[in-house]
Amino acid sequence: MNEKELEVAAKIKSMVSENLNIPEEELDYEIPLFGEGIGLDSVDSLEIISCIDNEYGVVMTGVPKEHFYNITSLTKYVIEHM
Amino acid sequence: MNKQLGTRCVVTGLGMINAIGNNVQECWENALTGKNGIASVKSVKADDCYVDLGAEVSCDELENYKGVDRATKLCLKASEEALKDSGLDVSKVDASRFGVVMGSCVGGVVSIENYVVNGEKTEDIRKMTISPIANHVANRVGAGGVISNVGNACAAGSISVAYACELIRAGVADVFIVGGADAFAAVPFAGFHALHALSEQACSPFNHSNGITLGEGAGALVVESYEHAQKRNAKIYCDVLAAGVSSDAHHITAPRPDGIGQMYAIRTAIANSGIEPKDIDYVNAHGTGTAKNDEAEFLSLHAIFDEAGGDLSVSSTKAMVGHCLGAAGAIEAVYAVKALVEDKIPPTIGYSDEDLEALKEKAGKIDFMPNVMKEKKLDFVMSNSFAFGGSNASIIFSKGAGNVAETANDEPIYITGMGIVSPLGNGVDNYIEKVKAGEGISSDSVFAETTKEDYDRYDVKMAFYRKLDKLSLMQVVSGLEALDKAGIEIADEKAEDYGMIIGTDDGPLTTVYKFQENISANGTKSGSAFNFPNTVYNAAGGYLSIKTNMRGVNVTVTNGAQSGMSSLCYAYNEIRQNHAKVMLASGTDENSDIMEKLYRQLGHVANGQAKPYGDTGIAMSDGSTTVVLESAESANARGAKKYAQVAGYGMTHAITEYGKVAGTEKGLEEAIAIALKDAGISASDIDAVYGFGNGCSEVDTVEKNVYRKLFDAKMPVHNVRTYVGESRAAASALSVATAALTLSGELGNEQKAYYFGDTVTEGKADTSAYKYVLATATSEGGSYCAVVLKKV
Repeated sequence: MNEKELEVAAKIKSMVSENLNIPEEELDYEIPLFGEGIGLDSVDSLEIISCIDNEYGVVMTGVPKEHFYNITSLTKYVIEHM
Repeated sequence: MNKQLGTRCVVTGLGMINAIGNNVQECWENALTGKNGIASVKSVKADDCYVDLGAEVSCDELENYKGVDRATKLCLKASEEALKDSGLDVSKVDASRFGVVMGSCVGGVVSIENYVVNGEKTEDIRKMTISPIANHVANRVGAGGVISNVGNACAAGSISVAYACELIRAGVADVFIVGGADAFAAVPFAGFHALHALSEQACSPFNHSNGITLGEGAGALVVESYEHAQKRNAKIYCDVLAAGVSSDAHHITAPRPDGIGQMYAIRTAIANSGIEPKDIDYVNAHGTGTAKNDEAEFLSLHAIFDEAGGDLSVSSTKAMVGHCLGAAGAIEAVYAVKALVEDKIPPTIGYSDEDLEALKEKAGKIDFMPNVMKEKKLDFVMSNSFAFGGSNASIIFSKGAGNVAETANDEPIYITGMGIVSPLGNGVDNYIEKVKAGEGISSDSVFAETTKEDYDRYDVKMAFYRKLDKLSLMQVVSGLEALDKAGIEIADEKAEDYGMIIGTDDGPLTTVYKFQENISANGTKSGSAFNFPNTVYNAAGGYLSIKTNMRGVNVTVTNGAQSGMSSLCYAYNEIRQNHAKVMLASGTDENSDIMEKLYRQLGHVANGQAKPYGDTGIAMSDGSTTVVLESAESANARGAKKYAQVAGYGMTHAITEYGKVAGTEKGLEEAIAIALKDAGISASDIDAVYGFGNGCSEVDTVEKNVYRKLFDAKMPVHNVRTYVGESRAAASALSVATAALTLSGELGNEQKAYYFGDTVTEGKADTSAYKYVLATATSEGGSYCAVVLKKV
């Protein structure tokens, strides 16, 4: 990741940790957020969409789920659409 | 041995208010013509939201009800109409057999918003929760029997009808005003908005299914025993046959896609009504308009009725009046009764020609009622309600007496396990150790805590517990310990035999308050999808059912601090009436920054160390206590340890101004008398009391005076608040748990006791010969609960 990506990824990680009540140490940039990984569900994805919209003005409603795979994929999508 | 419960329950009065009418007649006529009550909302700021639609009530008369929250105003309006309609002369009713059960989802959230945005006025504090609703109705009509509120979100209204009928069949009461109420408010609007569950157009259930439209209102029914109705020559609308109540044990907001929880509720209602699926002529569907609800509900209806050989008609009145949350089940019960007695089915509006084509395929064999009402002879109608927390309820109304197959057994019911979360630490063994050592709290505000150690002990994973607020965490830990202590494992094929009743005073007030603070500061659109599910009172019980797969009856009751004991009475009834083999009965309440602030403003909190019967003020506290109740058959079959037998209970209400701490001796005396009679013993058989005094002199005085009258000065009065403080519902459940631990010998032969001679003295009581003990509880609304436990 470049500097910009690292900055966005760190921010997304802290938002996910704080708003979805996940200890920071359980999260890294690669761990799958849904399914077998952290085990997030559809309600959590709404919270992520809301956080990203508020922070970056990037609307992720209706975006294919592969972009929600992990923090790295979220970061990539946000940077491409900022 | 089982006996048939032959008592007929009948509906003798109806009341209703919603967006299309301020009384039953208006609401009914406008529903039949398909009047749309949905418009741009006035009471919630929605200019930052993707939709601003709602179904609000317009009624100037509501302003005549002073000093209460809007939900209570709606409830009083509907209740007064129902009472008037019933012709019941309250001066001639035996008040102790006259009860009130009301359902609500969000209770006094309008008052929370007022408090947050209009200068934190103390008068708003006691209007914030659900508890006041049934109390205000009881006080207005002079009801002095079982007073309760059901907090099962959108199924609350239906469950309130079911619970009242159960108590009438149990012989506990003759007549009830039941129903539900919820006001249009920012918290649910912002919450459903955050979940993207609000429809952009007026909702049209089973149509495009792209969301709900919120509404507000209240429904009320007078239900009474047939004998009681006949004796006073009452006009009878119909019979209430049986109900089915179940839990999905699946997800906190979404229904099970396979519909098995809903189907169990529907099938149970039909079977216990002594009828068959083909007999049901009309279902007033839950029909919210969300894709998940509509799909699961149609699946359930098709699965049960398609091959039954009947002629089922279905509609959802939510298209006209919106989703009124905790009032929905009550409003729809009134609509179902009107449909039954008038042989007319209200429509579901909002279908275009194109929609009607699409509907044909979805509805299949179901005669669905789009756009236009239909006249049809109806003999049996069903009303369904499904809710957050996975709560399902189905209830049947009938023109004739029906053939209700409800039964009651007379086998003993035992306490076979318990779980404790308290400021003394968690776990029953820890509690025993601390009580034996005489350890107690030494501050005026203490806190229980659940930690990763607790979660690991019961294999609760991070993906699960991270979603829970403190109330739910405490509930889940105490519930899991109780099952573990009892040695109970839940087999999937018998999961419906296991249920729970959760009692709470303030429920998730902390979470609701924070949710409101956030949207007041940052706008309605900033509501948190993550936190919203925890704002419903039955979230704690919902999470516990998901974790344990307990799919039977799952109800949250809320009426002050005594809720933790009245939950046990409710659970006892479920086993007695063969609705479950094992029931958890819990009391759970939270002490938080906001709660402490509230209680200090009310002037109830001690300054320093609090002491029951010491005129010190109370020690704010929190926690969760769960007790396992089990039928003799189940306990004997698995050789379970029996801590004590539940021998009887009594529940009463005495009119006191809600929110003013003042008890009446008559209420407590009556509750004790009923419990003793139920247990078949007299006051002289009682060896000890587990009381409710908390250091607040008005509360303590009631107890002292009543026990001085009923018992001699040597009667030991034990009090768990000595050890854990005033944790309200958690403490009232802990009184029962501690009494059971004492009877089983776990707490040794000696225990700290108070004696109510001319003055209060303290000492050590020899507990070794206790055979019968009495546990009592109260609430600030004036409701009392008494339970008799017997040594096994």
